[in-house]
Amino acid sequence: MTAGCVMKSSWLEKNTFHYSEFNDLGRLVEEKQRKNLTISLCLPTLNEEKTIAKEILIMKSELMTRYPLLDEIVVIDSESTDKTREIARSFGADVYKATEILPALEQFKGKGENLWKALYVTKGDIIVYLDADIKNIHHRFVYALIGPLILFDNIKYVKAFYDRPIAIGKSKIRPTGGGRVTELVIRPLFSLFFPELTQILQPLSGEYAGFREIFEVIPFPIGYGVETSMILDIYGKWGLDVIAQVDLDRRIHRNQDTRALGKMAFVIIMTFINRKIKLGLIDLKEDLFNEMIQYNLVKNEYKPDIFQIQGHERPPIIEIPAYRDKFNKSL
Amino acid sequence: MDSHLDKLPAFVDTIESIKEMIITNIVLIGQVPSPTFKEKRRTSVFMERLADFHVDECTTDGYRNPIGVIKGTSETKPPIFVVAHLDTNWGADIDHYYTIKENSITGAGVMENSIGVGVLVSLPEIFRKLNLSFKSDIVLAGVIQSLGRGNLRGIRHLLKTWATPIRGAVCIESYDLGRINYYADGMIRCEVDCNISANNEWEHKFKPNAILILNEVINQILKLSLPQRPRSRVIIGKISGGFKHGTIALDAKLGFEIQSNSDKMVKSIFNNIKDIVEGIGHEYEVELKLKTLSNISAARIKFNHPLVKSTVDVMRKLDLTPISEPSESELSIFLSRKIPAVTLGITHGEKHQHIKAVAEIEPMFKGIAQIIGVIMAIDSGVCDEE
Repeated sequence: MTAGCVMKSSWLEKNTFHYSEFNDLGRLVEEKQRKNLTISLCLPTLNEEKTIAKEILIMKSELMTRYPLLDEIVVIDSESTDKTREIARSFGADVYKATEILPALEQFKGKGENLWKALYVTKGDIIVYLDADIKNIHHRFVYALIGPLILFDNIKYVKAFYDRPIAIGKSKIRPTGGGRVTELVIRPLFSLFFPELTQILQPLSGEYAGFREIFEVIPFPIGYGVETSMILDIYGKWGLDVIAQVDLDRRIHRNQDTRALGKMAFVIIMTFINRKIKLGLIDLKEDLFNEMIQYNLVKNEYKPDIFQIQGHERPPIIEIPAYRDKFNKSL
Repeated sequence: MDSHLDKLPAFVDTIESIKEMIITNIVLIGQVPSPTFKEKRRTSVFMERLADFHVDECTTDGYRNPIGVIKGTSETKPPIFVVAHLDTNWGADIDHYYTIKENSITGAGVMENSIGVGVLVSLPEIFRKLNLSFKSDIVLAGVIQSLGRGNLRGIRHLLKTWATPIRGAVCIESYDLGRINYYADGMIRCEVDCNISANNEWEHKFKPNAILILNEVINQILKLSLPQRPRSRVIIGKISGGFKHGTIALDAKLGFEIQSNSDKMVKSIFNNIKDIVEGIGHEYEVELKLKTLSNISAARIKFNHPLVKSTVDVMRKLDLTPISEPSESELSIFLSRKIPAVTLGITHGEKHQHIKAVAEIEPMFKGIAQIIGVIMAIDSGVCDEE
């Protein structure tokens, strides 16, 4: 089967934007107010004392004080051992330890856990998730994700892409692509199973925004797999047309070594396969192993370094009674 | 004037209340690399920010110095200039991303001159917040090509081509809070290049060493008798050369400045050094070139000029201790054109010239209040009196 027969190629053209299309902040604020929307920015953190203050400060200055686009900035922290929480608080963010949110539930640690719990403590109709380790942070990272959600009624979820992205139209060719894990893991998997999704240029980017009504009805893996599962679930439930992507130009963040990326790739593949099983698209004869095994040379001996993944996943938060009570919602 | 002074301590708190906006400007501008002669990207960000803060006019002059103008209420009062240089000593290959902590901003160029430029573009919003308006137009100029080989070209061009008189000026530097510069020494900045041909080994019985030759130049400069009056000095500031530990150096470069409060003395010392360089070049039969990178003339306003006195009053009102030193910056160009001007610093910090320079946040608010106090003093006429 060729991918061409299932590709809805106009999506890339219609639903791909550049951040500069949304830099009229006055207009975004007007439209936000007209639609009576509230917007929350959520920053999941783990030892981000070097970058967190800058993110909060710029967003607060530009998108709260000067243009009231954001209604709150919330930091959800995974037990940082540095001064992340203290610094974030001193610059005016609402700071929570992930373990303090919904404490009666079993506790897990991971980015997905923080994002999921953010749904409980934030108030916004729209939630913007931003990694807290962006060195070249600029308020475009937020307003460009919010823009399509406010201005286009059909769009419910927006994903960022950066740096070397896309060629649309004749003679405008720039190399496409994301990071190593995107190109070596996600893109081949999408090409094999969901060719349409290859149009999402950087599916693993940590910056995205969406309506609460979307996030509250999808499950969240607690670890690295959250971005992959989010795309698969949103695509599965609502199709590609509710998704948009925005070119944010450049994003500079910490570089990860190959071993760390190997672990990330492991989790993502695991999430992907589990989703396929759940959707009834594939059937495995045996359970998957849940350990990533890497080797270190220690005193002339190869020793395994085992990284175990439980693959825990939070259910759609709408299924949590405390959430339904707080937001006055029903199943 | 006293009523202006009385308002200053309260200004500090109001300015602090918009610290996010001020630091955001420092970061958004400072993170854009801006080595001398390559300030274009920083110029664009500077203009974008000024336009975003709704100054009345936003443009560049013929030399591409970005300028914002806040219109004054008077039709007749000449404008007041507030300037900060946009260029830095750091190339685009250096990581310019800043780290902010509770009371510090860390990163390349933050002390030279991102704080100054960030504060400059924040002034329109600070004026609004303080509910201030001025009789004079306030011209906010980020000037390019100031440092090193830039030789203050940006400010020279801006003032040379500015059509109307200028009432007075404040030059903003990131550091150090408490400085007050109102005089500039005469200065010539030079480089001596020593190059020894790698091919013609037969010319020399013993292969000369470029580093040792420059060492000889330094020794001869140090032997010069410099007078106590007029106050004069030669600063040996930079040296580089050689290839590797075990190879005779074929290239070396020496950078120095001659400074004096007498232009005549600067010229005289320069001529002496020129003789030294020519003499050593002949003696060792090597190519030794003396190049002038930049120069400025000595200029000053008197210590009892009303602008200086008012500035000192402003600083004292804010519990700052004024420290006066000569400055070879934009100030000298204003003064040489008989425009009363001072240079002031915004904050304290450390490792000023380092890739991880640190600026303190908290003192900035007094530093900014001081700038505003001096602008108010100029607007009240302290530069009109002489």
